[in-house]
Amino acid sequence: MVRNIVVLGGNSHPSLVESVCGALGLPPCNRILGKFSSGESRCEIQDSVRGKDVYIIQTGFGGNGARLNDHFMDLCIMISACKTGSARRVTAVLPLFPYSRQPDLPYKKSGAPLFKASSEDSKKDYTFDSVPPTPGPGMPKSAGLAGLAGLANGTDITNRLLKMSVTNGNESAAKLPNGNAKTDGDGFPFTNGTNGVNGSRELTPPTPKPASYTTHDYVNLSLVSSFQAKPGYKQWVAQAGTLVANLMTCAGADHVITMDLHDPQVQGFFDVPVDNLYGRPLLQQYIQRNIPNYKDAVIISPDAGGAKRATAIADSMQIDFALIHKERRPTRITDRQNASMILVGNVSDRVCILIDDIVDTGNTITRAAKLLKKEGATKIYALLTHGVFSDDAVSRINASALDKVVVTNSVPQAEHKARLGAKLDVLDIAPIFAEAIRRVHHGESISVLFNQN
Amino acid sequence: MSAEMANEIKLISGRSHPDLSEKIAKRLGIEVARTISLNYSNQETSFTVGESVRDEDVFVMQSTATGDVNEGLMELLIIISACRTASARRITAVIPNFPYARQDKKDKSRAPISARLVANMLQTAGANHIVTVDLHASQIQGFFSVPVDNLYAEPSFLRYIRENFTAEDCVIVSPDAGGAKRATSIADHLNTAFALIHKERPRPNVVGRMVLVGNVVDKIAILVDDMADTCGTLVKAAAVLKENGAKSVLALVTHGILSGNAIETLNGSVLEALVVTNTVPLGDKVERCPKLRVIDISPTIAEAIRRTHNGESVSYLFTHAPV
Repeated sequence: MVRNIVVLGGNSHPSLVESVCGALGLPPCNRILGKFSSGESRCEIQDSVRGKDVYIIQTGFGGNGARLNDHFMDLCIMISACKTGSARRVTAVLPLFPYSRQPDLPYKKSGAPLFKASSEDSKKDYTFDSVPPTPGPGMPKSAGLAGLAGLANGTDITNRLLKMSVTNGNESAAKLPNGNAKTDGDGFPFTNGTNGVNGSRELTPPTPKPASYTTHDYVNLSLVSSFQAKPGYKQWVAQAGTLVANLMTCAGADHVITMDLHDPQVQGFFDVPVDNLYGRPLLQQYIQRNIPNYKDAVIISPDAGGAKRATAIADSMQIDFALIHKERRPTRITDRQNASMILVGNVSDRVCILIDDIVDTGNTITRAAKLLKKEGATKIYALLTHGVFSDDAVSRINASALDKVVVTNSVPQAEHKARLGAKLDVLDIAPIFAEAIRRVHHGESISVLFNQN
Repeated sequence: MSAEMANEIKLISGRSHPDLSEKIAKRLGIEVARTISLNYSNQETSFTVGESVRDEDVFVMQSTATGDVNEGLMELLIIISACRTASARRITAVIPNFPYARQDKKDKSRAPISARLVANMLQTAGANHIVTVDLHASQIQGFFSVPVDNLYAEPSFLRYIRENFTAEDCVIVSPDAGGAKRATSIADHLNTAFALIHKERPRPNVVGRMVLVGNVVDKIAILVDDMADTCGTLVKAAAVLKENGAKSVLALVTHGILSGNAIETLNGSVLEALVVTNTVPLGDKVERCPKLRVIDISPTIAEAIRRTHNGESVSYLFTHAPV
């Protein structure tokens, strides 16, 4: 029994809240958390939090009838409510940190960017119609000088330059006068679908969804593929990680506990302490207990980014390591051509253990499994901390060469378990979080949780 | 094209109310910026910028839709934050219906003051200026440490009444004591009578007994309020007014949130018409409810944007509706 501590659960993962509370031996805080009919979140905390050490558990996963952004707003509102309710300290416990992973630009399976390059971009000349104009061959240095030079002698330096590079000069000259870049009349077709707000989810794309999009499948592909940036401008995707960190701090979070951040750098986005717990001990334990002859197996990282994570396990357990390298270079790749996946290391006649931090659409691990089977692997396990299984990940995994997928319950897994059956094993992280909460509350070191006990 | 190139109005629209953004853009004679926002399959919102906002005067238009408030709010925050990252000179959030405006006080122990949270979030994301319409409580402006321009739909309403009725036939009615100030202001401008309905409210979204203060016999009773949510209050107030001898009853409301079964409630009510502005995306509600009329608020917002950009006074708009 721990005193002076309040565990408050969001709506995203009630079962985890229950088991964490069970492990700590205290009941979860009574609260009303729902929505007004207008769609605004409604939150009332019914137990006193004055002077208490409050832990709010909310995972970055949409489900239970609400969406990810709803859950995140709920979290901020709960933090703020506790703060205004005179809580001594508010700790946000996010087993899966939302918006921790966003790709720079979405890309196709082939490695080509999902967005079409702007048609005028190919000229590779100047970027904008700017005033004063970008200097270049064929362009007067300034209006006044050009007039003078033109009067004085016809063969000034700009003319000579112009002759030397006729084609180049013509293009740039044609681009620089104003108006050219704005001739496109349809500058507004993207944000204004007739589909309303929920359009992104409910709009069925006119074309059947091709199965060749990775990382984050877009629901409304037609919108994306018709999108064009302004000529000369390279479109980019906003990264919300810092924003999410700042929003939580501004809501009043004094401390954040999370697990297996996709980028450990996210910790640096916060001005408050962030404890990044590791799922590694759990995964290692699973390997030791459930994989026969695990010493002869091979740990595989499905992409270079996760190599460090995988080698850490391989090193501490003294297992061999291999890596799959994804070629993602968009070098004149036609749409049909697959990105080449290259296996570095030997897996023939061995058990393979894929290690990654998150399975989202499941593309990476299912394709890695396919490659490993081709290379002669006998059995393939995939061990992942966060099992989001968005989109049609479940059916993709069911149809794949994977023999076993092991995830933690950092997000609710009951539904996934029902659909994946024996293929899915779920590890319980509640003890780790309960212990972390207990230690943070008592001001004990939690670094012991980072090591395998 | 030359001098003003350096700092132009960039109007960025969120997904919630593209229709209003387009009207504002048209009015300003510009195009809505090329951006795209969508949700990944894991439900995270993604925002892609397709043109430069460096050193521009950015206006982000987002009017959170009924039922999808958090989604719209997060999108707005992400857009603002993206513009700040992209070196915009100034970022103005144009939020015609301010989300969580009703959660503006700690009316119970440990109830969140979500309106203040939203204000803080907007500033954290990087908003330098806020433009909104008819805040539920104008004190919300005090939650911000950046300028907030609270525009009024009142001039548009006054024009609507003048164009459609003769002032002597009308009585302006406030459906609750809190809205009395708003209603008296309209009554004063029109030089008409004023009445008030006092109600007891046992729980949120539940309406209790109502008492009419004032005379509405043989008059056109015009209910004035800032938002119509489930419409329970309005419909009950309309019934009370009818019982007290009003010739007909209509309602002028700024924000038509119209959640839940508001449309069914309205259709079955004695209300002759509900006039709302298009601050909130109405979707198919106009088709579903023949009583619903819409006043276009985009001229006011567009003019506010123009004036803000040019550094002119906005206070003219508090009393005049641009044609």
